Amino acid sequence: MSSVSPPHSILFTCDGVSRHFGSLKAVDCVSLVVEAGEILGIGGPNGAGKTTLFDVVTGLTAPTSGRFWFGDREITGLGADTICQAGVARTFQLNAAFDTMTVLENVLVAAHFGRHPRLFSGFRLGRATREAAYAALEFVGMTHKAHAIVRDLPVLDRKLLMIAGAVATNPRMIFLDEPVGGLTAGEIDVVMDLVRKLQKSGITIVLIEHVMRFLLQLSTRVIIMHHGQIIFEGKPEAVPEDQRVVETYLGAGATTRLKRFFRDKQDQQAADA
Amino acid sequence: MTMSSTPTLMARHRAPYGDLAMALLVIASLVAIPYVVESRYLLGQVILALFYATIASQWNLLFGFAGVFSLAQMAIFGFGGYATAMLCVYFGWNIWPALPVGAVAAVVFSLLIGLACLRLAGVYVALLTLAIAQALYLLIVTDTECFRMVGSACRQFTGGAVGFARFGDFGTRALFRAKWLVGNYAIVSVLFGFTMLCTYGIVKSPIGLAFRALKDNPGYAVARGVNRFQSQLLVFGVSAFFTGLAGGFYAAHFQAISPGILSLSQLLFIIAATVVGGIGTFWGPLVGTVVLMVADEAMRETGEYRTLGLGLIITAAIILMPNGLIGRLGDVVGWARKRFAAKAPSLSATQ
Repeated sequence: MSSVSPPHSILFTCDGVSRHFGSLKAVDCVSLVVEAGEILGIGGPNGAGKTTLFDVVTGLTAPTSGRFWFGDREITGLGADTICQAGVARTFQLNAAFDTMTVLENVLVAAHFGRHPRLFSGFRLGRATREAAYAALEFVGMTHKAHAIVRDLPVLDRKLLMIAGAVATNPRMIFLDEPVGGLTAGEIDVVMDLVRKLQKSGITIVLIEHVMRFLLQLSTRVIIMHHGQIIFEGKPEAVPEDQRVVETYLGAGATTRLKRFFRDKQDQQAADA
Repeated sequence: MTMSSTPTLMARHRAPYGDLAMALLVIASLVAIPYVVESRYLLGQVILALFYATIASQWNLLFGFAGVFSLAQMAIFGFGGYATAMLCVYFGWNIWPALPVGAVAAVVFSLLIGLACLRLAGVYVALLTLAIAQALYLLIVTDTECFRMVGSACRQFTGGAVGFARFGDFGTRALFRAKWLVGNYAIVSVLFGFTMLCTYGIVKSPIGLAFRALKDNPGYAVARGVNRFQSQLLVFGVSAFFTGLAGGFYAAHFQAISPGILSLSQLLFIIAATVVGGIGTFWGPLVGTVVLMVADEAMRETGEYRTLGLGLIITAAIILMPNGLIGRLGDVVGWARKRFAAKAPSLSATQ
């Protein structure tokens, strides 16, 4: 996997970010950097604080302490709408959408309000807004469903639509929260191709996922969280080798499968060479 | 990302033929009514229905489109009416300049309510707004302090339980003499048409899109760049402007305003009309108002069963047509369109 971007161009920085709910330290002093162009995968058991971390850095939940930057701009304390307009989009674990609206209207909202700040929402949808919305639908391959009501869509389409909504805000960075949760194997491949396509188009990606095959195949770097803290950071291949990750998260069975997966991949690459 | 625009999609904006047809029907009816309706009583009821439809359309904008479950709708209507009346009573204003000022006063009142509701959701908005509305009603009704003397009678600042009367009218009595009611009808029709036109523009604009997005999923809307603070204040302000304006027109039409309009039954009628017609549909509040008013008139002779009958209609509407009459109509149109499309695979199938 050749990196197109120059090394060490840091796009996103988190410095000692915490979010406590009473005595529960959902996110406990997390520091991390995301480099431009990479796919950073975040794994870890349920309740590890992954989604809370996403909520904090995308402005939906205020941090208890800590600061974070997007490029050179500090975005700590900004509203979710402002962070979105700055170029950081996200998707949600639950299939969030505007259920009573059409597919097209869903992305139009994102394209109109999410691409840049507006003093006033305006009375007309501009041409640029429409084009951004159509391009986003085309990107995920949902153009033919543009006029369907979102309520009636199957789960894969809802996941794709959420990504289309993120794309329509013209982001430089996308946080994907469990993009393949609840999908079949074939559907997972569709989303995997799409995430690669996002990366190729120059968007930096941070993703949370429990489907290990997806997480480890896509990510250029992996972080494993537990009890609000980072317990592992490194290459995907190293994940099943780490004793603590195996104990707290993966378990013996999954570890063996993953090791076999990486061995097969190595053999494949050797055979190809 | 490829920016190849998809012309097929761009060209396929559904033309709002349905809305256009409905608008023409409404305009035609409004023009025809004074020629057809000879009874002054009935014409008066039509004017009342236009007021109700106007208020309901704004409550629908708040709740049906923006998802704000406000129960202060009649309070804002009353606020506009009282502000207009008090400008005339205390400052000797003519009714016409007092109308827009009264509407602006209602906007300010509503924005304060909107600010108070900003951090609340769903049923808590309903509780707070109902509390404000009831407080306003009680403040007026229980006001006994003498503010001025009219002849030998003592009058309160708020007008008390009696309210205000004879502070001016549209000027139609002087202008049209015996036909003054038709003049008032024309004025209220224009108010109604103006309100509906502006509301349509808002609903179909990006503002309307933001309202609907916030209603469907506030968290997701904010994450896609929608400013909740601005949108919420906007919907409180816009709906209050037209509601308050209607309040002023109501006061001017009846040449009187009293706390009765703030009562719960008035509010419930507005909500019922919107529910029967279809919450969140543009034409729902109008259709619902017409249906309920006609039903109410038809049951006039039945005395106490009148309320029971209205209750039955509302219950039936909720059970049989959860999306109201307009929602049911939409189902039928959608079904017919599907049937038609299946029989004649035309252009739409190739896209």
